[in-house]
Amino acid sequence: MKQKEAQVDYKDHQLVLYVEKKDGSYGPVQTGSYIAKKYLDDFWSKRDNLEREYLEKIRKGEASPIAFYMILEELTPSELASRVRIPKRKVKRHCDPRHFGEITMAELMRYCEVFNVPVINMFRAIISNKAGVRIKDEKSANPFFGTLRIEVGKK
Amino acid sequence: MSMPAFKHKMAAHCESGTVAALLNHAGLEISEPMVFGISGGIFFGYFESKKLPFPTFVVRNRPGQIRTNLAKRTGVKFRTERFRDPSRGERELFRLLSNNVPVACQTDFFYMNYLPDHVRVHINVHFIILAGIKDGSYIVSDCYSPDLALLDRDSLMKARFAGGSFAPRGFLFYPVFMPHNIDFRAAVWKGIKSAAFQMVKLPVPFLGIRGIRRFAQRVVDWPKLARDAEHLSHEIMKINIFLEDQGTGGAGFRFMYATFLREASEMLGDPDLLEMSKRIMEIGDRWRAVSLFAARIGKRRDLGQSRLAELSAMIHDRADAEERFFTDLLKLSKSKRY
Repeated sequence: MKQKEAQVDYKDHQLVLYVEKKDGSYGPVQTGSYIAKKYLDDFWSKRDNLEREYLEKIRKGEASPIAFYMILEELTPSELASRVRIPKRKVKRHCDPRHFGEITMAELMRYCEVFNVPVINMFRAIISNKAGVRIKDEKSANPFFGTLRIEVGKK
Repeated sequence: MSMPAFKHKMAAHCESGTVAALLNHAGLEISEPMVFGISGGIFFGYFESKKLPFPTFVVRNRPGQIRTNLAKRTGVKFRTERFRDPSRGERELFRLLSNNVPVACQTDFFYMNYLPDHVRVHINVHFIILAGIKDGSYIVSDCYSPDLALLDRDSLMKARFAGGSFAPRGFLFYPVFMPHNIDFRAAVWKGIKSAAFQMVKLPVPFLGIRGIRRFAQRVVDWPKLARDAEHLSHEIMKINIFLEDQGTGGAGFRFMYATFLREASEMLGDPDLLEMSKRIMEIGDRWRAVSLFAARIGKRRDLGQSRLAELSAMIHDRADAEERFFTDLLKLSKSKRY
């Protein structure tokens, strides 16, 4: 690949590509990600649609929050089970909303560590249709208690 | 602790970049493509399994082999350690950093919160260098980050001791011995021979050239495995990410391998390697065409059977080209004395 074909102006996602340089030598260039620049909006739109679809399933009682985050993070029940350190059959059971309530607090916290979300997110969804609202979860030294900070008018 | 004198540099791939950076810090001047080539890093494998959410492919050898193969072929020695007890793993890391020893750690990529959200996925084979501690956070030299980054203790512990496939168990390594005279001629040719052998001779239907062919055959069946059109589009567009964006240096490491062959040709004064480097660069260009095509049809949701058949034909074409290339490369490596 020629150097000029590799150059993409996209500061938010930089990477290194190996190219044929102008002098004919081969070597690395730091550039922007082509796919992130051209297709990131498509990625987020698909993810938003998936989130909406699964939140609806949770509301209807067709899926549990465990299934929601598992799909979102592209994990399989066996991979998730291994990460949460419980049997696969238990993960499958927890994906069923009828059995979601059987999860112990310790298991739920391990799930949340894997999904990197606060425990409270297993019981609610945060939705805002107002621009400029910043919602931030803040952890505390107490693993069972956190703060949801809502800031309006900030980017 | 003050900022250590570790020189951060972006690299195409986390493992080859990490190994190259540690060796350079220790005084051995070696490039990322040379590390990659000597270790025989170039590869292809197509995988379908119940343990995977969707079929996938790899374009490099098994994680960890870049370091182990390089050590075997150059005589460099690394100290490696895994930990059952996370607190012991943390203490050892702290001890090394307190002694100003930059350390490479295996981590779960998901917790690297200084990188953009869209790239962070759960994969346990991301390598970073920890170069020091500042205000209670770790100073990270990550090949995918333009600058040194800070990672909080909580995220690093989660990343180092995540469960799942290839669980890191706190794995860390750093070089402890550099030979005075490395026989680069032998190291280069051994790396080339092993890579070419793995591409054309492995009798496994989903590895090497056979893996590329299986990928070409199976991609037309991906619609049956997808939840819906958007899921299929996402998976098809991931072909581009796996080949270009996920730390390959472009075209699934083919461009980096071309750079290695050219550097080796100059180092050993071998014109045959120069010729081979041009050939693999051209092959890489066509892989890039595959990845751009996949991104385009994915975005347009133009994923009918005829489009997927077109994609499949392009991948088959790459298999044929790589079969010729790696067969010639294997013959060449057998004809050389080292």
